[in-house]
Amino acid sequence: MALEKPCSTTKMAISLRSELVLTDPNLARTPLWQEHKTLGGKLVPFAGFEMPVQYKTGALKEYNAVRQGAPGLFDISHMGQVRVSGSDSLAFLQFVTSNDVSKLVQGQVHYSALLNEQGTFIDDITTYKISDTEYYLCINAANRHNDVKHLQAEALRFDVSVADESDATTLLALQGAKAQATLQPLVNIDLESIGYYRFSEAEMNGVQGMISRTGYTGEDGFEVYISNSIAVGIWRQLLQSGAEPIGLAARDMLRTEMGYALYGHEISDAVTPVEAKLMWITKLDKGDFIGKAAVQARKAAGPKQRLIALKLTGRGIPREHYQVLVDGTPSGEITSGMFSPMVGGVALAYVKPEHAESGDLSVVIRGKQVTAERTALPFVRSNVRR
Amino acid sequence: MTIPADLKYTKEHEWVRIEDGVATFGITDHAQEALGDIVFVELPETGADVDAGGAFVVIESVKAVSDAYAPVTGEVVAVNEELEDEPEKINTDPYGSGWIAKVRMSGVTVELMSDDEYNTFLEE
Repeated sequence: MALEKPCSTTKMAISLRSELVLTDPNLARTPLWQEHKTLGGKLVPFAGFEMPVQYKTGALKEYNAVRQGAPGLFDISHMGQVRVSGSDSLAFLQFVTSNDVSKLVQGQVHYSALLNEQGTFIDDITTYKISDTEYYLCINAANRHNDVKHLQAEALRFDVSVADESDATTLLALQGAKAQATLQPLVNIDLESIGYYRFSEAEMNGVQGMISRTGYTGEDGFEVYISNSIAVGIWRQLLQSGAEPIGLAARDMLRTEMGYALYGHEISDAVTPVEAKLMWITKLDKGDFIGKAAVQARKAAGPKQRLIALKLTGRGIPREHYQVLVDGTPSGEITSGMFSPMVGGVALAYVKPEHAESGDLSVVIRGKQVTAERTALPFVRSNVRR
Repeated sequence: MTIPADLKYTKEHEWVRIEDGVATFGITDHAQEALGDIVFVELPETGADVDAGGAFVVIESVKAVSDAYAPVTGEVVAVNEELEDEPEKINTDPYGSGWIAKVRMSGVTVELMSDDEYNTFLEE
């Protein structure tokens, strides 16, 4: 068997010889690297980091644990954090991000994007409002240096400072129905008071951090920003309280089932929010921002392709880059695809705009046409607290 | 990790049991562990002719798509249809109920190793 064939849904090759190539000096480590090793995590290169793709029990059990409420504990410290502060913070963020930052109240988070002048994605981000003059952005690991360079260049025309705090910050996600009960004893605030897409500063082990009721799984839960100095302690305490460590493979299953976009898959510098169905985070009525004119033009002209959700009705697993046919002729390709334990073969795909709602769908799997049908998102029921 | 003494092994991490000219085939414990949770198996058709060393089964885990190669030349006389609904049997019982196919041998085999040789091969 050829065990080193590149995998299709992410760049996480499962190598037979993984034990031998673990120490790549070019790969960064999060403060929890040794914890992952100790727990039997299978470490793979991901976005410039060495990250656990799964732990001992395997991706399916980890996935089940989160859906059943475990809660699941994810080290997502590879992601970047940027603090924006200064009197022009609001004006700056209105100009460099697509969502309407003036709608945020203190303690609120929203999903947003950094667009370029062509209206395509530099990155997708979350924006946290700490105060009228201070905001916090969470950005993708792979785009971090590009994002920071872009933000700092744009910041020259505003009275703001843009600080990359990624290297000092550990980001944990705790996801699943039991997340709140598991996290509560470790913090000095009442987690019940944090609503969906809200956040609060909190003290953990005597050190100030930030907790938001956000996530990437479709389950209730939190994302916890802490200083690297307490990362190992908090990680161990959460595991001792019953949390299960979850790797990247299960994380990708959980997010795909929700239909959440992933940079490099559904969104990239080749598509605008019009194609990616992300006009809900792109507020054309808020004043000028980078990419606005291009997005307006694309909206008027119509999308070049459209993102759809599909479910196989024939046997097989749809994977990234597989061709999608409509009425037997090529229409587009899959951007994320997987085997969902609850639903079967599911995928997100771009197709020609005229095929977004009609025409018989099939996916080409190893030369064979496997039938599929359009479906609504999410693929499985979301349990986030609204 | 187990490597039963009564089986032969290939460098592609497959096992073979040859009885009365029929080769029963599966993947090793080491292979299933490296692949992780197996969620789909594409089996060959019964009656198909296969060549030793040729890809004839596709095994998909959560993250990877892998080919398995025929250890012998011959005709597929049986496939383990239970894997269509329970591909995880390859993970839980790779040398038993996780067998994949039986091939009636009509020619050459790929290079086969004993359990000791396979163990040495894994350590290299």
